[in-house]
Amino acid sequence: MAILKDIKELIRGLGITGKHLGRHAITIQYPEEKWTMPERSRGIVVLLSDKETGELNCTGCELCQRACPSAAIKIDAPRGEDKKKVLKEFVIDFGLCCFCGLCEESCNFCAIKMVPKYEFSDENKENLVWDIKKLQEMGLDVDYVDTRRKKKKPVDKAKPADKTSEKPAEATPSKEPNSSAGNNDQKKPEGDESSPDQKETRGEES
Amino acid sequence: MPDLRTQEYMVNMGPHHPSTHGVCRLILTMDGEKVVDIEPVIGYLHRSLEKVCENRTYAQCIPIMDRFEYVTSMSTNQVFSLAAERLAEIEVPERAEYLRVIMLELNRIASHLLFYGTTAMDCGALTPFLYGLRERELIIDLFEMTCGQRLTYNYIWVGGVSKDIPPEFEPKCREAIKIIGEKLDDYQGLLNENPIWLARMKDVGILDPDLAIAWGVSGPVLRASGVKYDLRKDDPYSIYDKFDFDIPTLEAGDNFDRYLLRIEEIKQSIRIIEQALDGLPEGPIRGKVKANFKPPEGEVYCRIENSRGEMGVYIRSDGSKKPLRVKMRGGSFNQLQVLPEIVRGKGYYIADLVAIFATLDIILPEVDR
Amino acid sequence: MSESLGMLELARVFGWLHELLVDTGLGEPWVTIITYAVLAVVVFGVLAVLALFLVWWERKIAGHIQQRFGPMRNGWHGWYQTIMDGLKLLQKEDVIIATRDKPVFFWAPVICFVAAFLAYVVMPFGKDLIVADLNIGILYILAVTTFTVISLLMAGWASHNKYALLGGMRSAAQVVSYEVPMVVSILVIVLFVGSLSMQDIVTAQSGNIFNWFIFRVPFGPIAFATYIIAATAEANRTPFDIPEAEQELVAGFNIEYSGMKFAMFFLAEFINLFTVSAIAVTLFFGGWNGAILPSWLWFLLKTCGVVLLLMLFRWTYPRLRVDQLMRFSWKFLVPVTFANLIIGAIIKYAGWYW
Repeated sequence: MAILKDIKELIRGLGITGKHLGRHAITIQYPEEKWTMPERSRGIVVLLSDKETGELNCTGCELCQRACPSAAIKIDAPRGEDKKKVLKEFVIDFGLCCFCGLCEESCNFCAIKMVPKYEFSDENKENLVWDIKKLQEMGLDVDYVDTRRKKKKPVDKAKPADKTSEKPAEATPSKEPNSSAGNNDQKKPEGDESSPDQKETRGEES
Repeated sequence: MPDLRTQEYMVNMGPHHPSTHGVCRLILTMDGEKVVDIEPVIGYLHRSLEKVCENRTYAQCIPIMDRFEYVTSMSTNQVFSLAAERLAEIEVPERAEYLRVIMLELNRIASHLLFYGTTAMDCGALTPFLYGLRERELIIDLFEMTCGQRLTYNYIWVGGVSKDIPPEFEPKCREAIKIIGEKLDDYQGLLNENPIWLARMKDVGILDPDLAIAWGVSGPVLRASGVKYDLRKDDPYSIYDKFDFDIPTLEAGDNFDRYLLRIEEIKQSIRIIEQALDGLPEGPIRGKVKANFKPPEGEVYCRIENSRGEMGVYIRSDGSKKPLRVKMRGGSFNQLQVLPEIVRGKGYYIADLVAIFATLDIILPEVDR
Repeated sequence: MSESLGMLELARVFGWLHELLVDTGLGEPWVTIITYAVLAVVVFGVLAVLALFLVWWERKIAGHIQQRFGPMRNGWHGWYQTIMDGLKLLQKEDVIIATRDKPVFFWAPVICFVAAFLAYVVMPFGKDLIVADLNIGILYILAVTTFTVISLLMAGWASHNKYALLGGMRSAAQVVSYEVPMVVSILVIVLFVGSLSMQDIVTAQSGNIFNWFIFRVPFGPIAFATYIIAATAEANRTPFDIPEAEQELVAGFNIEYSGMKFAMFFLAEFINLFTVSAIAVTLFFGGWNGAILPSWLWFLLKTCGVVLLLMLFRWTYPRLRVDQLMRFSWKFLVPVTFANLIIGAIIKYAGWYW
């Protein structure tokens, strides 16, 4: 009879919800317990410093500023007398940032990284604009793989190790600057069109 | 004895409403308890994404496309990348194709689980929402492990994918789809044969197949009305022709069929993911794409099968770094258009209207862009 | 002491109070009035606290069904969450909408709140623990629980809002439709007890556990099933919570209420829940009968069990549409309950068993 089948189904539904009463909850009580974020988790953006000297790795090449789709990064790096870029100011507005990770992908110098920190909310919108000091400070305890070329070695045509450990299968070409061999390796040649092969997987904005 | 005079009145199911999935305003003309006509008013979520894309390079457009339809963000990434690849004739390596298929199908399952939860919640059963989201968490954790984000992934790039899967992805993925397959029985036991659910869903909101085709409806809504049309088989893209899966189709076109079809699609997606994980080759994950990617002049329209229907992107390029025009097409737009057609003249109650809106699986960012 | 009181059945504690008052020499009407006033305050206090805990319990049960915790912050596992919510609601702005019917708007939650408590005058909390064992006990309860319909209609009308009006109309239709099956289900039990008094109904189930009316097949379980469905509808709970369907009418008749008035509707809903469960326990599960534990504890435990059942209903089933609700009541429940009544009557007067 249809009515008995209906009653059976109704009781079956009660059984399914009822059996959950005996199970332990799967939620955790934040902020007492915190979830360990995966290492690739895209949280805030920080500036990395050299592990020995403590100086910022950033050279002021402004690739990340060009890569950002939300115009959240503002860099002030004018050229000094010896034609080298001097990084004066580096500001990221986290109110504008869309946490896409394109800045980290575009950097050639292990200078900028997205780390799994997410507790940075504030009551004032102005406090979400972080300057170079705060960005460096938040990046001091970040462990990273330093894949920059060492300063003393000549230009190496062989393939170096990949910049990040997450792309093992990608065949990246070597990081060959188009500038002459005598220059400081860490200087990014200027101009948009001059280095199309720098890292073939970068996105840029002119 | 004078005749009883009744008057139709307007009720505003306004932009703020717990069961319009997003900000959609519906102006209902009602006669007593029955709905006579609907007029949807949209535009509350318009972010002019198409115009924004005109000022971004192709690589920067991918995060913008993420926000076009944020529930199935992988599909939006995929359709844009596919369009750009067709325009510039870039070849995608095989490992990248397999990874793309795995991510797309996982995203489809996540979207259908969200559909299951919100539809049940709209009809009053509040618990399946939590059950659906609990399983969706397993998938979202997989995404977070791979690309770092839980909703807007920025993972499928022009030429391939951005990052390779970590070694712990594969066992976790297999475990996740196994758990989801088992829990589907739980979900169906709660609802499928429940007499209250059947009374709410059966024979309500019948969509005629001719009407569906005339209004350009696609996806599970079309297949529930009896039209067997799925872009993964009828206009194959990526490597879908290598996988063995069925296209479930149901006949009645009512709410219950649309609901049941999506549950069946989850099962088919699980099949595809298992086959893809078994056959995942080694190799590069990104093809040769220049840093300042400039596709040649031309235009392309590319479409894929999203969990809501046909999702398409039209790109016109003038040879520069930024596209000249990007037009996005989403399935929810057509389904919102067909909603008044379904409801007009049938004498449905507001409760039915809410259930129909839920099973059409309309989400507003796709409608409003 | 009990003999001189006549129609009042008071337990030992209140007997002591009554004696105290008699000793002060106040005079007869005053003693009765003060005794009853104290009883009313005590019952009201106990029930108000019980309602708060019922709200907490509902949230915990809902949480654990959904594999989460529910309230956890205020106290151990959030036990005083409702008290904090009440304090919060007290601080909210009391919005009086621009309507012509301001007195109606004001009195609707008051009437709802008061009507919810009136049923406890005849509720048998335990052996000799009843405020007034009226000889029309169950009939009085049925009469009084219908008061809430008036308050919902008042709320819907005075809110000057289409959604609220729809909610009020629907709730009136629903409650009236489900009165009939509820009354007829109760009628079967009354037929077997032979009296409308609540204590008589409970004592008729004393002795053996199989004397409980739910075990008296065939009319007992059917009466219980129909009663529990009708009671869920009376209490406006899912699957019959059309009047306050959040997803459709954005909270129905209590859209325009804020602050303490909303709190009154909310608490009245939970008191109603407890009322229908208590009636179910009295009629079908033997009331306060039970071994070893004190009688009021048995009553509490059994009522909480029925409340748990009703909560499981809420968190498992989807909602019925309004016309399906009506159809279910009139075309299914009413014939079934009448058939049950006839079966019960035949069994009783043929004297086959029971």
